[in-house]
Amino acid sequence: MKFKETDIINVVIAGTAGQGVISLKRLIEFAAQKAGVDIILGAEQHGLAQREGAIISHTRYQKKATDDPKKNLNSSLICYGDADLYICIEPVESLRRGIFASNKTTFVLNERTIPPILITADLDQYPSLEKIKEILKGYTEEVYTMNATELSLKEFNRNQQVNIIMLGFAIPTGKIPFIDIKHYEEVIKEWLRDPDDNIRALHLGIEKGNKIIKKN
Amino acid sequence: MPIKDTRFSDEKGKVLMLGNEAVVRGCLEAGVSYASQYPGTPTSDIGEYFHQILRENPEAKEYLVHHWAVNEAVATSACAGAAWTGCRSLNPMKHVGLNVASDALSVIALNGPNPGAMVILVGADPGSLGSHQEQNERFYTWMLHLPCFEPHTPQECKDFTKLAFELSEKYDTVFEVRTSTRSAHSRGYVELGPIKRGKAKGEFIRNIPKFNSLPPHAINNHVRLYERIEKIREIILELGVNKIIPGENKIGIITSGMPFGYTMEALDQLGLDDVPVLKLGMIYPLNYEEISNFLNSLEKVIIIEELEPFLEVKVSEIAHHNKLNVQMIGQEYFPKYNEYSTGLIATSLAKIFDKTPSEQMTNAIEYFNSYKEIVPARFPTFCAGCPERATLYSILKATNQLENTVICGDIGCYVMSFFPPQECSDLVICMSGGISAAIGMSTKSDQKIVAMIGDSTFFHTGMAPLAEAVGYNSNVLLIIFENSWTAMTGHQDDVLRYLINRGFSIENICKALGVPWLRIEDSYNPKKLTKSIEEALQEKGLKVIILKRECGLQAHRWRMSQIRDLEAQGQKVQEITYYISGCQVCHECSRILSCPAIRRTEIDGRETMQIDEDRCIRCGVCYQICPNGAIHKSVIHALATEVPFREI
Repeated sequence: MKFKETDIINVVIAGTAGQGVISLKRLIEFAAQKAGVDIILGAEQHGLAQREGAIISHTRYQKKATDDPKKNLNSSLICYGDADLYICIEPVESLRRGIFASNKTTFVLNERTIPPILITADLDQYPSLEKIKEILKGYTEEVYTMNATELSLKEFNRNQQVNIIMLGFAIPTGKIPFIDIKHYEEVIKEWLRDPDDNIRALHLGIEKGNKIIKKN
Repeated sequence: MPIKDTRFSDEKGKVLMLGNEAVVRGCLEAGVSYASQYPGTPTSDIGEYFHQILRENPEAKEYLVHHWAVNEAVATSACAGAAWTGCRSLNPMKHVGLNVASDALSVIALNGPNPGAMVILVGADPGSLGSHQEQNERFYTWMLHLPCFEPHTPQECKDFTKLAFELSEKYDTVFEVRTSTRSAHSRGYVELGPIKRGKAKGEFIRNIPKFNSLPPHAINNHVRLYERIEKIREIILELGVNKIIPGENKIGIITSGMPFGYTMEALDQLGLDDVPVLKLGMIYPLNYEEISNFLNSLEKVIIIEELEPFLEVKVSEIAHHNKLNVQMIGQEYFPKYNEYSTGLIATSLAKIFDKTPSEQMTNAIEYFNSYKEIVPARFPTFCAGCPERATLYSILKATNQLENTVICGDIGCYVMSFFPPQECSDLVICMSGGISAAIGMSTKSDQKIVAMIGDSTFFHTGMAPLAEAVGYNSNVLLIIFENSWTAMTGHQDDVLRYLINRGFSIENICKALGVPWLRIEDSYNPKKLTKSIEEALQEKGLKVIILKRECGLQAHRWRMSQIRDLEAQGQKVQEITYYISGCQVCHECSRILSCPAIRRTEIDGRETMQIDEDRCIRCGVCYQICPNGAIHKSVIHALATEVPFREI
């Protein structure tokens, strides 16, 4: 799918508290600013950080604004069914806010689960990864998964690069248009701790994505 | 070109900012020199930005003061005090904070903030995204006559804040800027203006009629307040904060704030390009002429606003007074609860205008509804190693799973106590409502009544009901979590920190109040704590147990930094790990303690619990409570330096 410069691009990032959902959202927004995007609006969730809750963020941008205010990006929240890209850092979180997805959505999923406490207590069921994928395939064929946690632990001996790996993994989908890899790299250098590790994580993700994601 | 962080520096340009950051920028551009608030989502980060400015820019310390107040009423009066010396003061609060502040505000609004200026920033929370309730606190703007701006974008957050200060000073009136969880935490471009240095010093000049709103001045000040509001009503058009998106349709829309954005996108989705929209930047007071002119060209009007109908009432009033023949429609399609979205507004407008919503959206809703039941709940819960969770474990054990027991909860992290599997809270009212409810309940019920309160809530409004409980010797066990942080809102460097540095002691306060039965316990010693709770519940009258144990998140951060420092100096440090072997899957750790660092898994085809090493903070509670001795402790480098949690 080829995007026009006046199209509104909608990215949902979902995960659990402490997985770097908000950091990743900011990274994309600042990279969009670097890329000279006209309108950027994004909504993030504050106030329950670190408490194991479900976290979702919305990032929206429009490369070129039109003269008609009604055709421009006006809200920081994505409409139901309107997500172009879904980055899910925890698998079942893709379903929790699945209402924003449709047949135009591409999903990228981290395979590592974080079971809610009721799963541990055996008082609730966590669907299998196969089941989750099967439901997502009801939206679209474009469902791509990788184990970013495992890769982060293997390459960096910690799980803090998972979100950046997932961003890299999402880039070959072509669903975050008008932002170049160099824009992400610049923002990482200016804003993040351990920029070398994060840039390497970005490229590890891109490499993985290039291998399995069909070119659009 | 590197992006420099110019959010709060005196430079021009266009930067990406959150709504709350833009509010702070607006304050800097308006020359604010005092701000005071009690933390509460979605406004806590406003104070954090002020503190960041003060940390990074020592020059600002010469004129700018930010206080984390002990509660909202104190903050509001403190802001008035600063304004009355001729300064400009900002008073942020969450929607329920306004309930607490309203007592003070009802008088300050009468007096007026001159010679300075005062703006309250209220963070509403439709949808209860970070609060224990939702309410339409916009009715306070009418009741107390607080002219109120409602921004939609970060740019408006900045512009309206700055404008509110100009007008507050000019019209001697307390202004409000009303954000919401969404507008406060949405990011967008903001065009920066020059920063104005706030007033470092002022002086209070005596004016008895103005500052003593008792009869006869109370009525005179009320009269003057009306005069001010009427002047402000007249100039709304000149401010340019309201705007009309023109259209030929005979059905129009009036809206404000975040719902404006949803409405615009919904109209676009439905192809309703000709519907006129009046976007109100100022929601109180309304300009009669402006509203009448908009209504005049219409046969029907739809008011789109979250929660209880505020604008609807005010617009109806204008239509009625002017005998306008316009019908107000659509109320049945817009719920009076929860937050709105583009999807909800598009669905409602489709019904009103007899249109079909986009297939993409209706399919999304339908498909989502077909599978949503299988998504497991993931509610917020206590962090791994949280002392409050460990305390709930002890309460559950001491009361035989709450047999004949009532737990009066309160506001703080422990507000989450009611969630399964612990379900260790029966009620929540408001800050310090738990101990207060317990006092009344204990006069009527012979059940065992336990109330919980945290240290920050204790200072907020908790000491007063404790004094009452002592006075009546209420048959209540009060558990005070002294974790030394205002943890729920994000560990602000608040007044609690300053008190701690000055050696305050909840224990001494309890003694001074005359608490008849008092013990100090440790949440990380569950067996001893359980015994203490059992003993307390056997006694009649008031009992207090203070749990002195630092917030697990902060304790862990501190310990890890100590370990890093020691290792950097080349010292060897003890490495403690807890692991599970021989698990009987009895669920003591997962259902009664329910620590999120423990997960259920299968090893070699056998079900077992497992501790996630990267999430465990080594509190050792699960190790102490496992009835089967299946949780083990291993210490590597046992002879090396031990780094325990710090004492508080």
